[in-house]
Amino acid sequence: MDINTTFWFYDRIKTDNLCLLYNGIISDDITNKLIELSEFNISNVEGLSKMKKKASFLMAECFQNIIRHGEMITDLEKHHNNSFFLTRNWNDIYCIASGNLVVKKNIHNIENQMKTVNSLNKDELKELYLQVLEHNEISGKGGAGLGLIEMARKSGHKIQFVFEKFDESMSYFYNQILLHPDDSNKELSINHAPISDAISFHKKMQEESILVVQKGDFAQESILPVLKIVDNNLKSVFKNSSSKKKIFHIIVELLQNISKHGWKDQKISEGIILLGKSESNYTINTGNFIENDKVDALRERLQNLNDLSKDQLKDLYFSKLKERYIPEMKGAGIGLIDIARRITSPLVYNFTKIDARKSFVTIHIVA
Amino acid sequence: MPDKFFFEGTEDKPQINFDPRNNLFEITGNSFPEESTNFYIPVLHWLDNYTKNPNESTHLICKIEYLNSLSAKFIFELFLILQKITSTGKTVRVSWYYNPNDDFIEEKGAEFKSALEIPFNLIPLN
Repeated sequence: MDINTTFWFYDRIKTDNLCLLYNGIISDDITNKLIELSEFNISNVEGLSKMKKKASFLMAECFQNIIRHGEMITDLEKHHNNSFFLTRNWNDIYCIASGNLVVKKNIHNIENQMKTVNSLNKDELKELYLQVLEHNEISGKGGAGLGLIEMARKSGHKIQFVFEKFDESMSYFYNQILLHPDDSNKELSINHAPISDAISFHKKMQEESILVVQKGDFAQESILPVLKIVDNNLKSVFKNSSSKKKIFHIIVELLQNISKHGWKDQKISEGIILLGKSESNYTINTGNFIENDKVDALRERLQNLNDLSKDQLKDLYFSKLKERYIPEMKGAGIGLIDIARRITSPLVYNFTKIDARKSFVTIHIVA
Repeated sequence: MPDKFFFEGTEDKPQINFDPRNNLFEITGNSFPEESTNFYIPVLHWLDNYTKNPNESTHLICKIEYLNSLSAKFIFELFLILQKITSTGKTVRVSWYYNPNDDFIEEKGAEFKSALEIPFNLIPLN
């Protein structure tokens, strides 16, 4: 991924309050963290918190489907071909999608189940549910039926689904459901986030080796759950805890900068962060708004940091460290200096003027 | 002698236990508060007050897992305050613990050590 990737995603999710995209191996550990983060996100949106239980249930079903359908896929293939998970919120709508590889011979069966479930109304679904409970299964693959029926019942929507051919023996199975209070405009919701969005996000993430994209509020309490996912992800990739700490540190500094200095809309510091992996490095992108009159100063500071050698950066760091504390000290700029000391190639940055008051700043870091 | 200073510690704030009566001084855990200033100023004030009449020997034990850049600055400030004790003829030293696999915390300790004039021991955890 490069610096332009940030805006590619931002542009497609700009009217979402929250958006979390995950492209990786779905393990029990990461499942719990993703649900925890999503629950946190939901409870922060007015009018949505009462759907928290429902949403958690639906997410858990999604993950179980991924794990169940993935049983036929070898570990090697799983490792190279990541599963996908998405949650988005706009207005009072909550959207959950997932995508995973399934073997060709299962497609027909899954498709039939989906069609059956989608053809039934609320009462018929309940009837089918009870019938399956009693007779254990409607499909050759035990259990798969119940989860789907429950997803359709809880959502009150048709489950959108698409199979995308991967190779001769496997396809990606994508499915998406929407949750909303009863008085929402259902037609509008489907147009806002078609399942084709989810598929294009996953493709982009696969192509550019992106692990996590999160858009939302970057106040400290909101970034703690994001950091847990990052931490968890880094643990599985790095044996060496130093590299893990370095990446974690850069992310903390960047997010806290956005929270402190970013443009605030009704006290919310909104931003987007992308975490990617290349062969030997991690890449971190951030994007957020800042006031136009802060642009020149920030650009100059970033350029100055790029112009300094590692030794000069070290000297600058120590001089900042030794500066005595002054009450109005906000951050003393020590965070960016510390980042610049730890990265392997220069900071890449870009400013785009949005309107008379604010600009969008993107930063791309290879560490 | 000032009473003890105690903060329980959270996900993003360290546990702080400064207890002059039992001659115990410890900082443990993560430090990356959203408002580092609000968090560390009371700690610095307490310590400044303590240095006016410190114990014969003060030994600060740091077992920090992670600290962000602004916390590093405040913790350095804290060491500078402790350093004042040496001018009273009493002694002060710091033990900085780190996980042997963790260059991040080890390097941070080494940086502090190089900029201070009090005994500062870097100790790998078992």
